[in-house]
Amino acid sequence: MLRYDSTSSSAGSSSGSLSSSSSSSKPPQQDIDGLLAGAGYKVRSSELRQVAQRLERLETAMGNSPADFSQLASDAILYNPSDLVCWVDSLLTEFAEPPPTCSSDFIVDPVNNQTVVNSAWTTAEPHTPQVHQNITYDEQQSLDNQLTVVTAMEEDSGIRLVHMLMTCAECVQSGDLSLATSLIGDMQGLLTHVNTVCGIGKVAGHFIDALSRRIFQGMGGGSVNGGSAFENEILHHHFYEACPYLKFAHFTANQAILEAFDGHDCVHVVDFNLMHGLQWPALIQALALRPGGPPLLRLTGIGPPSPDGRDSLREIGLRLAELARSVNVRFAFRGVAASRLEDVKPWMLQVNPKEAVAVNSIMQLHRLLGSEQTRNSPIDTVLSWIRGLNPKIMTVVEQEANHNQPGFLDRFTEALYYYSTMFDSLEACRVQPEKALAEIYIQREIGNVVSCEGSARVERHEPLAKWRRRLSGAGFRALHLGSNAFKQASMLLTLFSAEGYSVEENEGCLSLGWHSRPLIAASAWQAVPAWDNHMSSS
Amino acid sequence: MAGSNEVNLNECKTVVPLNTWVLISSFKLAYNLLRRPDGTFNRHLAEFLDRKVPANLNPVDGVFSFDVLIDRATGLLCRIYRPATAEEPEPNIVELEKPVVGDVVPVIIFFHGGSFAHSSANSAIYDTLCRRLVGICKAVVVSVNYRRAPENRYPCAYDDGWTAFKWVNSRSWLQSQKDSKVHIYLAGDSSGGNIAHHVAARAVESGIDVLGNILLNPMFGGQERTESEMRLDGKYFVTLRDRDWYWRAFLPEGENRDHPACNPFGPNGRSLEGIKFPKSLVVVAGLDLIQDWQLAYVEGLRKAGKEVKLLYMEQATIGFYLLPNNNHFHTVMDEISEFVGSDC
Repeated sequence: MLRYDSTSSSAGSSSGSLSSSSSSSKPPQQDIDGLLAGAGYKVRSSELRQVAQRLERLETAMGNSPADFSQLASDAILYNPSDLVCWVDSLLTEFAEPPPTCSSDFIVDPVNNQTVVNSAWTTAEPHTPQVHQNITYDEQQSLDNQLTVVTAMEEDSGIRLVHMLMTCAECVQSGDLSLATSLIGDMQGLLTHVNTVCGIGKVAGHFIDALSRRIFQGMGGGSVNGGSAFENEILHHHFYEACPYLKFAHFTANQAILEAFDGHDCVHVVDFNLMHGLQWPALIQALALRPGGPPLLRLTGIGPPSPDGRDSLREIGLRLAELARSVNVRFAFRGVAASRLEDVKPWMLQVNPKEAVAVNSIMQLHRLLGSEQTRNSPIDTVLSWIRGLNPKIMTVVEQEANHNQPGFLDRFTEALYYYSTMFDSLEACRVQPEKALAEIYIQREIGNVVSCEGSARVERHEPLAKWRRRLSGAGFRALHLGSNAFKQASMLLTLFSAEGYSVEENEGCLSLGWHSRPLIAASAWQAVPAWDNHMSSS
Repeated sequence: MAGSNEVNLNECKTVVPLNTWVLISSFKLAYNLLRRPDGTFNRHLAEFLDRKVPANLNPVDGVFSFDVLIDRATGLLCRIYRPATAEEPEPNIVELEKPVVGDVVPVIIFFHGGSFAHSSANSAIYDTLCRRLVGICKAVVVSVNYRRAPENRYPCAYDDGWTAFKWVNSRSWLQSQKDSKVHIYLAGDSSGGNIAHHVAARAVESGIDVLGNILLNPMFGGQERTESEMRLDGKYFVTLRDRDWYWRAFLPEGENRDHPACNPFGPNGRSLEGIKFPKSLVVVAGLDLIQDWQLAYVEGLRKAGKEVKLLYMEQATIGFYLLPNNNHFHTVMDEISEFVGSDC
């Protein structure tokens, strides 16, 4: 059972631009208890009493059979622990009898929403300035100002190299290209003295290359993103093998899709980037094993056109069909060749109104962001037609990074930390040539983030918080990924990967990171059914 | 009644604000789900439920943070909190290990609580607490993400504490200008307080100075059942049964609670007489069922001639220092500030 995001308010202003933040105050947010928010829990002050009562009921239930509790906990699926009200409620439905209507022990002062002294609770002592007590929980503020850094012990030359990289990036931003150029030379010299096995030393070389490309070749960056679709697919496949990020993405998305398809006999998955179709064998097999039997599965795979007469999409489709046949799943495949996602039109997908649709986007939506936030930018267009398909679920996996900031230096800094963390995690991989090719895959991403601009810069990663706002604003609501998905993702990690990876839960979404730094985030969405007339864009 | 699971809900409601009650009760509820009777721990669910926050190099309320992997072999991470300075209000990555400026800059090595099994350095409640410590003590805070029980029993947490201590002590950028030495304080709550004690003991054994220990509701115990344990069992969020579980999870198999890790001044303990142990600030909550052990610890320090200040907060429960909505919180923060500040 997938859970909906009960606390999300339909966000966004009525202007067409996604970048303008909501101007009207949101009463629900104002009421959030600021102190509990600091502890990671979103509870409205007006709901505290209610939560407390439910906690009491749970405690009473627990008192009766404490040993059973941990067993029940192992089996129960929990969602979004930040939303205390929902979490406590879900536990109540698992463990306790429904309550008789109980008289209130706790009263709330209607004037200022503070708890009032009575037989139950003491007042919150007004020692701190009131402004901290019920702060506006401004997610936007905290998230736009986030820069997460994990370092390892670096030798001095490593630190010097970082210093020079930053200075060089600063020069590039301010247009002092001659100083930037000489720094490039210095850095290349310094590289020979630095430990390039792990940490910043490893990735510095790639950043130096990307900077130098930006300085000397301008920002068309065609050659960076170059390489044929065929090459990209190979690199992608090796990145898949060398580290768990894509496996996590596929696995988590498949779990959610499987749940969403429950009870449907005709299902249709639209994959925004088929590549080698690595995600789908597992889903096909899971559907084959579904109690009650598999549905009819249609898969529409989007991918770039292949040159030289090959139809690589069809080839992948044939292989998947073969697998489906072997496990008795009725399967149909359709390839949609498009160089850019924004060139895809919904009619090409041939969605049947009777089927349950899952839209699957693994690191594709950011490519639609573009440099200007205009009305009907590609992202708006695509999100709009996705909504029009009324999918049962849209799974979104994106890099958890802020690589689309307008300022070059900020972007560069963020990228330096992001990719050095990612490279560090790759160190654990022992298999070749997977590791080497995975590094090239990442290197290309770095090149695009650093040395490209305008339409050539497609790696416009944005953090989960921004995607949440964007998707909510476009008429989607979050479907929460629960403790079962979390547990299985964690277990998958221990099976396939080195120590140091960690899965984190973040208000219904899951992220995979390396040593406390989340690097990739997975979320699931559904179209909000009712939509105000004046909100629908032309 | 020892071992009783009866919870008298009314008592703890009268002594804490509503939001504190909700917070601590939620933890208690979650923790009950995680501890299994057979001594194993539902770690996946624990990590799922724990609210974590990332480090942030951009200052928030004048404090920025970053994580450092100080031991790759064990994956030991520490989160470093530094005050943003007037000269560099927005640090860039080069500023991470910029030398601290000041004649005397206290460095507080902080060990989070969680009874050796719960929480992490990046848990929201501890990130918040560490940020506060930076502000009130004008210190750099190093929060250690030590390995937890039951997967990692004694002495892992202490070993990690020691690794972090040596790392901190050897950072030239943490040295105070007055004497080119790192001015180290050890601090922790619950199990973290216990770890702070043991790391301090090891430090002085190795001849490295620790300027002070700050123990908030430190976790100690013993085989005997004390008066406070029996009187307060189940009354204020904590039961004797869960205390026992955590000791069983942390201590080596087959050891009882008179193991010196748990009971440092007990029958298997060792007097600190003649040892240059740092001054201690020990905070005891009057409604904490293990207070008799904490008071015995203070007594043990006194008997060995060590400088110790006891802050006995009569009406305080466990976790009172997590939210700044009560007088105990502010009293304790003021005392900590003075304790650290008195060396400057």
